Amino acid sequence: MKKKLLSAILCSAMAASVLTGCGGSSDDGGAASAPAEDSAPVAEEAAPAEETAAEEEAPAAAADGEEVTLTVLAGQSTTDAGIEDMIDEALAAKYPNITLEWECTGWDGEFHPKMQQYLQSGLPDIIIGKAQDVATYASQGVLGEIDSTYLDRGLDAARENVTFDGKTYGLVYNALYQGVYYNKAMFAENGWSVPTTQAELQAIVDDCNAKGIIPFASHMVDTWSIGNVTMQFMMNDVFNNTPDWGDKFRAGEVSFSEDEAAQTAYSYNKLIFDNTYPETFSTEQTDCDARMVLGEAAMKVSGSWSIQNFLDIDENFDFGIFPFPNQTGDSKLIFEPNIAIMTSAETEHQDAVNCVLDVLSGDKDLAVEILDFTKTASMLKDVAPTFPNPSQTDIDEYAAKGMIVDVTLGNNQLVWGGFQEENAADIAAYLQGDISFEDCLAASDARVSSSSVQ
Amino acid sequence: MKKKTMQDKMNRQYILLILPGMVIFTIGVILPLLLAFRYSVTSWDGMSVEKEFVGISNYINLWKDANFRQAWWFTIKFTIANTIVQNVFALLFAVALDSGIKGQKIYRTILFIPCLVSAVIVGFVWLKLYSNVLPELNEVFGTNINFLLFGDGKTVLRGLVIANNWQWIGYWMLIYLAGLQSVPSDLYEAAKVDGANAVQRFFNVTIPMLAPAITICVVGITTGSLKVYDLLVSSTGGGPGRSSTSVIQMIYATAISGRQYGYGSAMSVTLVFILLLVAMIQVKGLKSKEVQS
Amino acid sequence: MAILKRTKQADDIFQKPYTKSTLIVQIVMTVVALLFLFPLFVILNYSFKTKKELYLTSPLKLPDSLQWANYEAALKKLNLTTTFTNTFIYTAVSVLILALLCGITAWAISRGKGKFFQFSFVYFVIGILIPFQALFLPIYTIGYKMHLTNTRYGIIFMYIATGISFGVFLMNSFVSTVPLELEEAARIDGCSVVKTYFIIVFPLLKPAFATLIIMQSFQIWNDYLLASLYVSKKGLKTLTVAIQSLFSAQVSDYTTAMAAIVVSVLPISILFLSLQKYFIKGMTVGAVKG
Repeated sequence: MKKKLLSAILCSAMAASVLTGCGGSSDDGGAASAPAEDSAPVAEEAAPAEETAAEEEAPAAAADGEEVTLTVLAGQSTTDAGIEDMIDEALAAKYPNITLEWECTGWDGEFHPKMQQYLQSGLPDIIIGKAQDVATYASQGVLGEIDSTYLDRGLDAARENVTFDGKTYGLVYNALYQGVYYNKAMFAENGWSVPTTQAELQAIVDDCNAKGIIPFASHMVDTWSIGNVTMQFMMNDVFNNTPDWGDKFRAGEVSFSEDEAAQTAYSYNKLIFDNTYPETFSTEQTDCDARMVLGEAAMKVSGSWSIQNFLDIDENFDFGIFPFPNQTGDSKLIFEPNIAIMTSAETEHQDAVNCVLDVLSGDKDLAVEILDFTKTASMLKDVAPTFPNPSQTDIDEYAAKGMIVDVTLGNNQLVWGGFQEENAADIAAYLQGDISFEDCLAASDARVSSSSVQ
Repeated sequence: MKKKTMQDKMNRQYILLILPGMVIFTIGVILPLLLAFRYSVTSWDGMSVEKEFVGISNYINLWKDANFRQAWWFTIKFTIANTIVQNVFALLFAVALDSGIKGQKIYRTILFIPCLVSAVIVGFVWLKLYSNVLPELNEVFGTNINFLLFGDGKTVLRGLVIANNWQWIGYWMLIYLAGLQSVPSDLYEAAKVDGANAVQRFFNVTIPMLAPAITICVVGITTGSLKVYDLLVSSTGGGPGRSSTSVIQMIYATAISGRQYGYGSAMSVTLVFILLLVAMIQVKGLKSKEVQS
Repeated sequence: MAILKRTKQADDIFQKPYTKSTLIVQIVMTVVALLFLFPLFVILNYSFKTKKELYLTSPLKLPDSLQWANYEAALKKLNLTTTFTNTFIYTAVSVLILALLCGITAWAISRGKGKFFQFSFVYFVIGILIPFQALFLPIYTIGYKMHLTNTRYGIIFMYIATGISFGVFLMNSFVSTVPLELEEAARIDGCSVVKTYFIIVFPLLKPAFATLIIMQSFQIWNDYLLASLYVSKKGLKTLTVAIQSLFSAQVSDYTTAMAAIVVSVLPISILFLSLQKYFIKGMTVGAVKG
């Protein structure tokens, strides 16, 4: 077995050197540790990357061995913690003279305060955030343009929402899927099929209630979760028909108080709340995921970040995903570009920064490792995660039918911080009975000036 | 005349002694405050270079902001509940430990340890306690107590006060305990001779003798509670809804996530002024009591 | 109500038999102590469980086997030696300087006569009330402009600046207990103002310094805000900042987080236990100034 692996590696290394034509001197760190079955394509892909990188002077820093330390601010979601070690390792293999000094923060908590702080004094060399942050900070003119060498290694779809005035400021690394996760065994047992309309969903909910099954697992103690599912609802019921709803909202043409579709989206929260366990406002994500796995609930409106928990608790848990049905029955599965690498416009070590971008965009083993760890989908060309994802067949199906939509559209139309996040608190207050539905809608309307970055 | 110049000379030296502290304090504390005041009259978003002057409109908007009022209302309730509960229990426990029970040191240590844990962690631990651990006790004992205090706007205050008190009672208790142990015993003997019973002795001897400790504790707890933030971040996050959003939390959300640094600064400035007022009133009131006794 | 019975030495009590009321108090306090211990037990219990045990078994159940792996992960993430040393240095240096500075400032304020001194007192005390969380951006901006960020002296400077208010407030009440006659006598002997302070007043304030040092140590040890603003570089980080970042990142892995809590609380608890005598003494003076 070992021999086989070794020979495969040798073959691929040879293939690499033949293709690049720059001899065996290139330290093809990428292929060295690759599993036999996918090492060949990796080598092929890595080779041109090396070549272009060589033109680019990036390895110049590596060549003269000058020690460089780059500062990195990472705003991580719960599933991202730990990828910094993987990146360090991959970087050390290829550019041992570059050290990253990490400052890891929670994206939801300390990341934005830190960014504001650094806007006063100068940004770190590299910033890792979410794709939606690119719009926020690019508009301040502090982000550096990312070289097309590295962008070209990513999917074209990844570029769209991080490009402004023809300049791309973010390297989008991976993506999350969002929708309704469902317990496949439970669905099969009860003869439910995946609902595409509200009526079908309601039928399942009713059947659940009749059989004493909790229809939805939810964790409303996390206000972000309410905000997240609300955007899922908004995507399919509002932005699906009116992609510029946010612009119209700011122009005064539509409002939450008057727009029926927006109200419907908000009111789905009530549907969830009425059909979940009573302690949802005391339950946080990990516990909620656990209850889902333990078969206490049939469905959960969530995203890929739950998969890590699902599989941690029971590696055999069988689940699928479908988009939350909208009024018109044509809901699309939601996909969200997640980790986005940004660079400072003012960095003193552009070469070294490029080396890091080279590793991130070019090292496919690293990419697979990160994707497997975070349970996310790839935004790099020819890279696919290898973790067992029971919901992958569903995702592939929706993708094949073109029924996938990028939520960045919604997040740029109505921003998260200061708007969606605050509206979510109002929705929670409404579910708690503190305020009326009308007040909740009016509060969102009153917040119109915070609904856009500008 | 000569005496006056002498005092002047001395005063100058005293001023020289005060200056270093004053300079450090001004740079580290007052300047940021002034800067915040400057931001509060702008519509700055906290990021861009330009800071547009908008006069006092931020302050005017504050009065119309229902969420800001709600945050204040929660903070006030939290502060009052804490000041009462924490003082009463800290004093009670101190008296109990001072009553001649065995193993005083062990109790003292146990009650004190929670304040070594940072508030963020305390919040997280109590979230787990209320939602996972304590309900399990119902199963064990077959009781039906509602432990889900963070899950409802009506009980969230109670839950937070309990968590906060778990953390801080030991600390204040220590101060009261120290105070109690230094009350000269002949005062009690004298009161006894005068025919005062235990309760009378408590209110006529113990409490007045504890006045300085009470001042420290009351001011400490009140100002600390008005500034509550860390505890909330990791427990309720200000929810459910907005039912446990404190003023500082609101300021943070407005200035940072909401990109309204100017408006958030106006909230900060308002908070500082109110804190100042409350503390002045308290210190004045408590000090006058101290003097009387 | 024998509660109020006075005794000079607590140790005497051990010889005394229980009365009815002391017995009741003893029982009540034991229950209270157990209630206080319960959350600590939960933290400890969780810190030894595997992730699966966490979800699949009762939270009250003891772990099947002790998961030291959680501790290994926590230790690695916390970088304990560095962060602990940093926190210790910042705390120790800051409180020592604070004691020196606050003593002399409070004394000068209370001895000086005139409006300026009254104003100074109020000026300093304002600082107690300032919610620093709300001012983090200006604090950072000023620190950055003065090259104080990411330096050891910068964070110490800030701890002094923010601690001075409470220090002056506290010392002020002690200073008034120092008899003026002593100072006047010293001055007649030809002592300068500064000398008078160090020879006469300083020794008398020693107990007050103990109080100040203890109370400020807690503040600084547990500080998150200033530390995260001023010392975010890896080698300069404090324990609280390290645990916070581990915490915000690992909420989904809270067996490790719980182990980290234990690891971070342990050193300071040991420190407290071994210095308890002095702590209590310091507190005593604080609560009973004249």
